[in-house]
Amino acid sequence: MDPFVDRRESAPGAPAGADVTMSWLRGVLQKTRETFSRRRVDEELDEEIQFHLEREVERLIAKGMDSEAARSLANRTFGGVGRVKERAREEYGFRLLDQAVRDVRHAARGLRRSPSFAIAAVLTLGLGIGATTAIYSIVDAVVLEPLPYPESDRLVRIFQQNSPTNRWSISVADFQAVEAQQKVFESVAALRGGTATLTGSGRPERISALFATSEWFRTIGVEPTEGRGFLPGEDRPGAERVVVLSDAFRERAFGPGAAVLGQTITLDGHPHVIVGVLPPGRGSLAGYPADVWPILQLHPPTRRGPFFLRGFGRLLPEASFEDARTDLDAVSERIFPIWAAGFSDENARLTPVLLRDVIVGDVGGALFLLLGAVAGVLLIGIANVANLLLARAGGRTREMALRASLGATRTRLVRQLLAENLLLAALGGAAGVAIAFIGLETLVATSPGLPRLEEVSLDPGVLGFAAAVTLTTGLLFGLAPLLHGVSRDVAVGLRAAGRTATAGVRWRRVRSALVTAEFALALPLLIGASLLLGSFLRLRHVDPGYDPHDLISAQLSLPASDYAGAVETMRFWNEALRRIEAIPGVASAGISTALPPDNSGDTNNFDLLDKPVASGASQHVVPWSWISPGYLRTLQVPLLEGRLLDERDRGTPAVVVVSRSWADRYYPDEEVLGKQLYAGGDTGTPMTVIGVVGDVKLTGLSSSDDPAVYEPFAQAGFRTVNLLVRARGSASGILRQVGAGIESLDAELPLANVETMTERLSTAVSGPRYWTTLLGVFAGVGLLLAAIGIYGVLSYHVTRQTRDIGIRITLGADPAAVRRLVLRQGMSRAALGIGIGLVGSLLLTRLLENLLFGVSPTDPLTFATVTLVLTAVALGSCFVPARRATRVDPIRTLNAE
Amino acid sequence: MSILRSELLRGTLDLLVLKTLTLEPMHGWGISQRIRQMSGEVFEINQGSLYPALRRLQRKGWVTSEWRTTDHNRRARYYTLTPAGRAQLGEEERQWTLSSTAVNRLLELRLART
Repeated sequence: MDPFVDRRESAPGAPAGADVTMSWLRGVLQKTRETFSRRRVDEELDEEIQFHLEREVERLIAKGMDSEAARSLANRTFGGVGRVKERAREEYGFRLLDQAVRDVRHAARGLRRSPSFAIAAVLTLGLGIGATTAIYSIVDAVVLEPLPYPESDRLVRIFQQNSPTNRWSISVADFQAVEAQQKVFESVAALRGGTATLTGSGRPERISALFATSEWFRTIGVEPTEGRGFLPGEDRPGAERVVVLSDAFRERAFGPGAAVLGQTITLDGHPHVIVGVLPPGRGSLAGYPADVWPILQLHPPTRRGPFFLRGFGRLLPEASFEDARTDLDAVSERIFPIWAAGFSDENARLTPVLLRDVIVGDVGGALFLLLGAVAGVLLIGIANVANLLLARAGGRTREMALRASLGATRTRLVRQLLAENLLLAALGGAAGVAIAFIGLETLVATSPGLPRLEEVSLDPGVLGFAAAVTLTTGLLFGLAPLLHGVSRDVAVGLRAAGRTATAGVRWRRVRSALVTAEFALALPLLIGASLLLGSFLRLRHVDPGYDPHDLISAQLSLPASDYAGAVETMRFWNEALRRIEAIPGVASAGISTALPPDNSGDTNNFDLLDKPVASGASQHVVPWSWISPGYLRTLQVPLLEGRLLDERDRGTPAVVVVSRSWADRYYPDEEVLGKQLYAGGDTGTPMTVIGVVGDVKLTGLSSSDDPAVYEPFAQAGFRTVNLLVRARGSASGILRQVGAGIESLDAELPLANVETMTERLSTAVSGPRYWTTLLGVFAGVGLLLAAIGIYGVLSYHVTRQTRDIGIRITLGADPAAVRRLVLRQGMSRAALGIGIGLVGSLLLTRLLENLLFGVSPTDPLTFATVTLVLTAVALGSCFVPARRATRVDPIRTLNAE
Repeated sequence: MSILRSELLRGTLDLLVLKTLTLEPMHGWGISQRIRQMSGEVFEINQGSLYPALRRLQRKGWVTSEWRTTDHNRRARYYTLTPAGRAQLGEEERQWTLSSTAVNRLLELRLART
C-alpha cells in the first residue's frame, strides 16, 4: 500500500566485506550524531530545500518563465515543504522519540475531542488509583515496613502468659529475674506508667511520661542526640533521678533547641535532672508516645506481683526467637518456687512476642481487607473505562479504516491507540496521586488510634506503587480496544462501520464479560460493608449497663511525694468526694480504678473457697475494680441481690460485690451471697460476696460476657483514679466547679481526660465507625460504577441495534416484548455477576470475622438484602435503555440508513 | 494509470538515486535534474520525496553527504555513493533486471495469445 514504508521496514541487504561494515558504521555514527543535534539537522534540511527551490526557479526563469510563475511551479513540483520535512525527519535517528511525542499529541487531541469521555475516564481511574494508593501507603507504613528501629526484627516484648489468649504485664520480680539470669538478650528494659504530673512551672500539667530502666534506649536502639541516655545503676533506688526529653516537649516547654541539659524538672513531686534530648520525630518509641522518659527506679520485690511493667528485650544477633522462648521459660521455672506462696499459677510463663506483632496487632488483617476492597473498586473502574473505550473504538472503526487506507501502517495505529490509553492512564494516575494525597490526610486524621500512623507518607515506594498500578491499568483496559480498533481486515471495517459490525460479536462478548465482572466485584464489597454497618449499629445500641447521660469522668493522680501512704491518700479522696457532692448541681460522685465502657483497670486472680482450683492450675482472672461507696450509685448500676458497698465497708470484714455475669459463671444455679474467695493469690483472709449488681461493660462494648468484682477502695490507697460525677442538670455546667473543688484541696492537682460519658461511648465505637465508613464509601463507589457500567453497555447495545429494533417494530413486534428483550440482555449479565459475587462473598467475608459484632460473616439476611438491592440497581440501570429501545421510530431509523 | 506510474517511481526512487550518484557526488537538485534528463523526461518525479529518500540512504550507509561550495559559489549539500551503496546498487540492478525481464516475458506472452 505504501512502498515507501514497506521498503523502509524491510531488512537492509546483508553487509559484505570490511568496506560495507565501515559504511554501515558510518551510518550508525551519523544517526547518533543527528540524534544529538536535532536543531542543526533541521536547519540544514531547511537550507538544502531552500537551495533546491532557488535553483529550480532559476532554471525555470532561464527557460523563459516570469519569476512569479516559476516560483509557483517550483513549489508545486516539489510538493508540500512541510510534508517533505516531516517525512525526512522520520528518517532521522530520533524517529522513535519524535513519533512518541507526536503520538501523545495526537492522543491528547483525540481526548480533547470527546471531553466528557476523557473526564469520566480520568475521574474513574483517578478515584480508583487514588484510593488504592492511599490505602496502600497505610498498609505499607503499618504492616509492611519494618519498625523504625535498628534491626527491629530482634526486638521483643516480654509478657506473662498462661494461655494462648491471656497475657499480661510482668512484675518487678519477673523483670529483675530476667535481667539477672537471661542469656539470649543483648539488653532488656522495662517501662511503667503513661502519665506524670509536671509541676514547678505555672499550672500543674499532666504530661505523657514513660518511666524506663537504664537499658531502655540501648534496647530500642534510639539514643538521645543531645546529652546521654541512662547510665547503669541509675535505675536503682537512691540514685539521682534523671530524665530524657522528647524534642517536641523541649520545644513546647523550653523553646526550640533550648539548652536544657543539667536543668531540673519536677515530675510527680520528684525533681529530675535532664540528661538528654531525643532526636526530632521520636515523639513515640515502641508505640508509646511520651513527652518525657524519666528513669524507673525499682525496689526489690516482696512478692511475685503486682504485674505492671512492660518488658522489652533486644535479642543477641546469634539468638533466635525460639532461644528466647526457651530461655524465658527456664527463668519462669527457676523463680516460681521462690514466690509460690503468693502466686501459684504454674501455667503462667514469661513469654516473648515480637514487638512488631504487638504493635501491629490485628489491624493488619483489616488493612489488607481494605486494600482488597479498594483494589476491587479500582478493577470495577478499569472495567468501566475499558467498556467506554470499547464503545469508542467501535465508533472509531471507520476512522481507523480510513486512516489505514490512507497509508498509516498497522503498527502506527496500534501505537497511537496505545498512546491514547497510556495517556489516559497517566492522567488518571496524576489525578490519583492528588486524590491519594488528600485522602491520606483524611484517613490519618480520622483514624481511631491505628498504630504507626506517624510513619505514614506518600514516599517514593508508594508513588512507585501508584505508577505501577497506573501502568497496569493502562495496559489492562487498553488491550481490548487495541485489538478491536485495528481490525485485521480494514475493508470490512470500512464497509461495516456505523452499523452492526460482523467482528462486533466477539467484542460484545468481551464487554458483557466486563459487566459481569463488575457485578461480581461489587457484591462482596457491598456485603462486606453491610455486615460492618450492621455490627456498628448493633454496637451503638449495646446497653453499657449504666446511664451515660449527665455523667462526666476525669482522671486524677496524687503525687507519691506528697501522699506517701494509704492514710493520706484516703483522707484526700474522702474530702474531695465530700466537697464535690456538696456542689449544688451534683447529684452524686464516686471514684474507681476502672472506667467503663473500655477501661477495665486492673484484673485480679482469685480462688473460690468452696470450689478451689487444682494445685498448680491457673486461678480465675476477672476485671477487678476498687471503688468508693458512691461509685455504683453514681453510674446507676442496678442492684440485683444483697446490698451495695457503703461507708461501713473498710476492709474488715473483707467484702466484695460481683456482677451478674460473675454470679452466672461461677454459681449458675446457687445462692451467691455469702460465698467466699481468696483474691490475688492471698490465702489469709477470705472475702465475702455481699451483693450482685447488673453487668457493666468494662472491656469494650463488644464483649459478650462481663464478669467483674468490686472491692471497697477504702484500704487500697490508689493514687491514680477515675472520678465520676453525675450532674443534676447538664453535665458540662458543673465541670468548672468540680475542678475548683479539687483545686481548693490541692492547687497542684490537674484534672486529666475530662469527658462526658456520652463522648466516651462515642469514642468507644470510633474504630468500628472508621472501618464501616471506609468500606461503605468504597462499596458505594463500586456500586455506582457498576450501575454506570451496565447502563453504558446496554445503551450502547440499544444504539447499535436501533435498526434491528426498528425493523422488528415495523413488522409488528410488541414494544413490551422489545423492552423485555433488552432487559433480558442486561439482566442475564448482571445475574451471572451477582451469582459469582455471592460465591466470592461467602469465601471472603470470613476475613471480616474479627471486625464483626453480633452478626455472622455469612448472615443470610444481609446476603439476601444486598443481593436484592444490587439486582434492583441492575434493573434500574437497564430500564432506561430498554425504554428508549421501545421508543425507536422505525421510519426515521430506516431512513437514516 | 497515473497512480501506477507514481508507485513504480516511488519504489524505484532509491535505485535511481543510487544510479545517478555513480558518476560523481551531486546535490539534491542536481540529482532531480539528472533523473529527469536521464529518463528522457518520462519520470517527472515529485521532487520533494527526494529528500526523505536521501536521508534513508544515508541512514543505511549507502551514501554520505558533506557541505561544499558550488560552481556558482553557493553552499550546497553534496551526496557521495559509498562502497556499500555501490554494492547495493549492483544488487538492486540485478533484481530489477530479473523482475522486468519476467514482466516483459509475461506481457509478450499475453500479446501472443491475443
